[in-house]
Amino acid sequence: MDKLGNIVSPGTILAVITEQTQRRAPTRDAVLLLIPAAFAVVGLLVRYLAYANTVGDVTVAHFVDGLCRWDCGWYVRLSEEGYDPFPVPSMINAGNWAFFPLYPMLIGALRAVTGLPTMLAATTASIVLSIAATRIAWPLLGKDLRAYILFSAFLLAGPFAIYFTTFYTEVLFLTLTICVFTALQRRAYLAAGIFAALVSGTRIVGVFIVLAIVLQAWLDHRQRGGTLAGFVPSILKRPDILVAIFVAPLGLFAYMAYLHWHIGDALAFSHVQRAWGRATGNPLVYLWNALTNFPRDSWWPTVSQQLGAAWLVGMAMTIVMAARRQFPAALFCIICLTLPLCAGLASMLRFTVGLGPITVTAMTLLSRSSALFYVGLGIVLIGGYFGTVGWLTGVLTLV
Amino acid sequence: MSELAPAPSRPTSFIAYGVVALAIAFELTVVWFMLHPQVPPDYRAYYIDRTTTCLNQPVSGDYELGTTVSFRSDGVESAMPLRVCGWEGPAGDGTHAVGTSSRLRFAVPTTEAGPLYLSLELVAVSREGHPSQRMLIEANGIELGTATALAGVPLEVDLEIPAEAIAAGAGAVDVTLHFPDAISMSPSDSDTRRRSIKLLSARLGATTGRP
Repeated sequence: MDKLGNIVSPGTILAVITEQTQRRAPTRDAVLLLIPAAFAVVGLLVRYLAYANTVGDVTVAHFVDGLCRWDCGWYVRLSEEGYDPFPVPSMINAGNWAFFPLYPMLIGALRAVTGLPTMLAATTASIVLSIAATRIAWPLLGKDLRAYILFSAFLLAGPFAIYFTTFYTEVLFLTLTICVFTALQRRAYLAAGIFAALVSGTRIVGVFIVLAIVLQAWLDHRQRGGTLAGFVPSILKRPDILVAIFVAPLGLFAYMAYLHWHIGDALAFSHVQRAWGRATGNPLVYLWNALTNFPRDSWWPTVSQQLGAAWLVGMAMTIVMAARRQFPAALFCIICLTLPLCAGLASMLRFTVGLGPITVTAMTLLSRSSALFYVGLGIVLIGGYFGTVGWLTGVLTLV
Repeated sequence: MSELAPAPSRPTSFIAYGVVALAIAFELTVVWFMLHPQVPPDYRAYYIDRTTTCLNQPVSGDYELGTTVSFRSDGVESAMPLRVCGWEGPAGDGTHAVGTSSRLRFAVPTTEAGPLYLSLELVAVSREGHPSQRMLIEANGIELGTATALAGVPLEVDLEIPAEAIAAGAGAVDVTLHFPDAISMSPSDSDTRRRSIKLLSARLGATTGRP
């Protein structure tokens, strides 16, 4: 209710916030920080509620540790003990070389500085990164407040908030990817290259973001009337773009150099996939097999169908990006969606929602009308509860 | 659409070109590392050349001759030191062989001249279209014989390990089982995930251990 006792509708609140964001910069910045901060609190409460209703033990420490499942355990061990030697001391074939180092290193450093337990440090860092990602994405969201609110809610309180608020590399990957595309939007190539170098040290597919930088440079070249033959000479005259292109893969190359020094194989992160037992094959065959794997005893789609649907949604968002002429982001997303598909659909939902441009695009679509916005926001927040319950009860689609 | 940033000044350009040169030099060095891995033969065979699905682990092979080791859930502790590679589980009623070969190690006294007798109790996995699993069994690289297990039917395999095989092992008998009929359980499974048999128990002794 307002000062006069009138009932204030959500639309009015939104209008007031919108007005605030259009005012002078300090007020706008405060509002833009408060929105994700509020969703961070809401998200924590929703996940805690889901945890308390699903798992008996409801202390805060157990809550933070209890959300750490599947690959999260690998990241915790990696940040505490570093990379496995060969032979692996626990005598398994799957050394932890497949997990890229940047985020575990960051959490390891944070733990060393603060003395916090690993999962508490990781949870705090992930939430801060999610808030930062939201704020940085403001221009990519078209400075649209509804899209901004949805994006905040999705990352910090949505059905897949586990990926962005516990200990998964998705949060850093998404944040840095958004940094790269925000920098590219401003044609700040050097900054884009530096952020890209960090992306390439965060996840195996991150190195392909260099192609987005090259494509953006090509599009700029074409816009100035440049020809194909003149592209390389024009790039050679632009040291900032050159630096961006050659610095971008440094995260991956640094990790490869480390692996060579540590176990003698710079490609260990790739070779170790053999131990995970996945065969590479035709991605379209994998997709078809997944989508046609119908349930036998129920109407609910199978896990493989759900993962296939996640991939299709990701591709649909990529097509929207291309239609909006966001070609560099579309190229990056196509690669990041297709390469993992060559080894099957495992973790495809996580890979899809962890792609910043896809999530940003989805939120801009959901913000196109008030009705869609409110329905979307409601689904996201309710999904936050059930997503956590699904995570805790072992729903394989979420892994 | 944002405007392209102005080109940097000359001194900045020199620094930038220097950074590019360093980055290229570093990246080429790492490519050279990538093309020249310096890894042990076991690592190369499993991860790089993919010539085996059985990655040897440095197990002790701790074992007292003549005892029967269970590979069911009740025998995890005594079975673990024997599992060199190609095993997964136990899964309740046995330990799965995974991949196209599996290996066991039995430590034996260096004074042991042989012959010794190997007894394996196993069962082939059940899968439509795969009624049986053939096995080729070796000890310290010397072929002992072949066996065929029917799906779902427990089989006891008794083989003599000749003195020359014992002598070749220098204090250990490494028993390798090859599975030419191993099955891919899913199209997305690599050869490291193929299934063939479940091992129920193993025994190595101076006698067959059977009445």
